[in-house]
Amino acid sequence: MTTATLNPPNTKIPPSTHEFAEVIHRLEAGGSMLPDTPENLMQIIGIYKAYAVPMDFYWRDLLYIAERVFLNPLPAFKYFLPQEYLDLHNHYAGDTADLRIWRGEATAHPELLEFMAKGEMKQNLPKIFHHLWHDRINMEFAEECMRAMLWHRGMGGQFDPYLDTDEYKANADRAIRAYFKGNPIMLGLYKAFPDMFYEQVRQLSYYANLGLFWEIMAPVFFEMSDIYDEGGFKGVPDAMNFLVNGIFAIAGRPIYHHVYIDGECYEIIPKSKGFTWLYEAALPYVEAVFYRTSPFRGTKSYNAQANQVPSDQKDFHYGILYADVFPVGSAGIPPTLLMQDMLHFLPPYLLDYYKQYCRGDDDMLIQLGITFQRSMYNVTSAVIQALRTALLYPLDDQDPDHLMANRQFFEAQMDRFKRPEARLRNIQSQDYR
Amino acid sequence: MATIVEIAVGNENFQTLVTAVKVANLVDVLNSPGPFTVFAPVDAAFAQLPPGTIQTLVQNTPQLARILKFHVVPGIWKKADLVGVDKLTSVEGSVIPINASNGKFEAKNATVIMPDVEADNGVIHVIDRVMLMGLAIGRL
Repeated sequence: MTTATLNPPNTKIPPSTHEFAEVIHRLEAGGSMLPDTPENLMQIIGIYKAYAVPMDFYWRDLLYIAERVFLNPLPAFKYFLPQEYLDLHNHYAGDTADLRIWRGEATAHPELLEFMAKGEMKQNLPKIFHHLWHDRINMEFAEECMRAMLWHRGMGGQFDPYLDTDEYKANADRAIRAYFKGNPIMLGLYKAFPDMFYEQVRQLSYYANLGLFWEIMAPVFFEMSDIYDEGGFKGVPDAMNFLVNGIFAIAGRPIYHHVYIDGECYEIIPKSKGFTWLYEAALPYVEAVFYRTSPFRGTKSYNAQANQVPSDQKDFHYGILYADVFPVGSAGIPPTLLMQDMLHFLPPYLLDYYKQYCRGDDDMLIQLGITFQRSMYNVTSAVIQALRTALLYPLDDQDPDHLMANRQFFEAQMDRFKRPEARLRNIQSQDYR
Repeated sequence: MATIVEIAVGNENFQTLVTAVKVANLVDVLNSPGPFTVFAPVDAAFAQLPPGTIQTLVQNTPQLARILKFHVVPGIWKKADLVGVDKLTSVEGSVIPINASNGKFEAKNATVIMPDVEADNGVIHVIDRVMLMGLAIGRL
């Protein structure tokens, strides 16, 4: 799995007759859904870097909201990260790491700190002015991802079922009472409508879940960018394999929700539940955010008679793997928020690249959006390969039955991209930009 | 005879497994009367996992215990009992697909390389790969 070279196409089983047979054969040879070209490699690594910087803010703020802002009924300043959370050590970067993924520092990324201080205006103004001028990280995007996970629910793992248990409610109850101690109005409301409060706490548990998920992805992407700069990746499969190994290395890290009230820690979801990063955060995240999310207000009608939006949540197909990126920047297209965030942190080689194509500076949001889509097909390829490794057989297995089981797994995954909205076809060509 | 843990401790091919069971505080469980059926990965199986996987699990014992409990099934299931059985439910709660027909003996994606090692409190099947919990079909 760690080998960089592609295996020769296997001849032990007949070729696939699937619509995406070419992609399936590439996956079977140890490749990615994204074709292996230097241009693709340059694009995806550059965008990982641009994504990792705002992500370094997202995970810190998600944890801050889950752990400190908690049930504040008027959280007007929830996007104002206190120094404590900027200094918070990432568990997978720096000298104090549990397992060092990024060789850089464990505290907030320097480019992020600079942007937070000066913003697009390049002026040292108080935070509140940057915020009111919308010169900031678009944290609403992270919250939208969190809500997708909360709303789709039940996508595997034990995290979501746990939120409905009496044990969870008892844990939440202790924290709710402590948080509103001495506030008879909120305590009275809690007594009258307890479920309203439990549901808010569940949402906050998803804040923690997503924060802990992205705490891993940020250093993974930073490290990939550094390796690329050092000339360490020979092609797209190398980049994918780095992700596969990263997924396995971190698979067992705990997912939990701790709340700090008056200096005391309330374990709403204790680490001892045994919830893991892979099963309780990463896989539900990929399903909820890459595949499903919710229809963009600007592209679909929610009119019940029009039947544009499926009635089954499992049929939702509005994630980045299906998204139409061309209207990015116009109204009702939520990923615009992320594209705008990434725009601030593009590496120079990607800026130069975009200037050469399409409308240069003018449509850079769209160009980087499409690059982002390519890069997420590569991340999804890594997830598919990791699952194949975990649940099925090595690509060089000698038993034809095993190879057939791998084949069926890959075909089942590709079936999800048969629908016309899927962009798997588009990303096969460099002309899609 | 000896218990499941004693057999594993006495065999040099299970050093990683024994260490993991100790770290995860599962020694007493696997020494209890049970009975249990244990799918025991050999050291080479752990060595196939990418670097860092074990390190992260050893740092987080509840998570490690969960993976190990996925390798334990309540009751005694010998190879002969498993013909025609297509799945077992592990102590962890997830299902282990079983294939014990056509001359094969596979648990999930692992192959049993030595079946039916009898212990006082159950039976051990030695496997060549660490099993990881599955997911519902049709999803990622």
